[in-house]
Amino acid sequence: MELEQNRERIRKQGLGLAAISYDSVGVLKSFAERQHISFPLLSDSESKVIREFGILNETVKAGTATFGIPYPGTYVIDPKGVVVSKYFEDDYRERISASDILVRQFGAAPGAVGSAIDANQMRITTGASMSTARPQERIVLSLELELKPKMHVYAPGIAGYIPVEWKLDDGAFVKAHAFEYPAAKTLRLKAIKETAPVYMGRVRLTREITFGAENALRPLLSPAGELVLKGSFRYQACDDRRCYLPETVPLEWRFRFEGLVRERAPAELQKKM
Amino acid sequence: MRLYLFLAWAGILSGPEMGTRVPAFSLQDQFGQTQTLKSVMGAKGLMLVFFRSADW
Repeated sequence: MELEQNRERIRKQGLGLAAISYDSVGVLKSFAERQHISFPLLSDSESKVIREFGILNETVKAGTATFGIPYPGTYVIDPKGVVVSKYFEDDYRERISASDILVRQFGAAPGAVGSAIDANQMRITTGASMSTARPQERIVLSLELELKPKMHVYAPGIAGYIPVEWKLDDGAFVKAHAFEYPAAKTLRLKAIKETAPVYMGRVRLTREITFGAENALRPLLSPAGELVLKGSFRYQACDDRRCYLPETVPLEWRFRFEGLVRERAPAELQKKM
Repeated sequence: MRLYLFLAWAGILSGPEMGTRVPAFSLQDQFGQTQTLKSVMGAKGLMLVFFRSADW
């Protein structure tokens, strides 16, 4: 389970972690034992707390086994009990991973999920908030650029030069969300008395993706059970003396695939209609 | 710090607004221990997740 895998990273941010569902203590105990979950899974079997939060899914018919489920989502709450942020998806089947929240809200470092590429004028390292791909989970991808000394590349918004462009081969495999490039520095070009938005030194770009449904991902697994996401990074680099030819560097992120848990609690523990 | 909020077309409910207090609770965990908002709170806050079910 994604939360258990991120338990230590969450704790390092000084945050507690708990998860609430409408399952009985017995179901949660069985699930926690099978999935080796040690953080608190809280049983709200009458959906009382779910109702008090105002997130009961009222589109589910009363009298059915799934009645009482919440709209799934995550709150970040301060020590006084006040909501600092919350993450709910439009599509109830999709989830925003804790790793996504850790990277974007708390500035946690994404882990590397590919080897560093020594391109002309810079080194590029691909990273992700999670090295595991799970169906319909939203995570953060990152690109770490380390430009060589005195080198700069152009940020979006430049005229007359080629700005950086980060492309992903998405489709059924992943949904790429809209993203923003990081804030650029302003470079003064003395010779032509102009300024230009540029990146220099070390720069981290991040963007979110949501993995596709399990049946879309499974056929794409490598024999080793990996999912490989490909993309490219285009740039034109210049230093204080000259500009170099535009480059397009192929990129790759490798994920270990983990399907959804299909195994159910023993029949006698399962929710009755 | 930048905060992100993914809200919904009408129909999806996301509960207490940012800047407001969440309801108190007292629930049993998988070990049969009673947990409250206070007992699961960390020094800097809490990540509280609502999920659909552990048994589908």
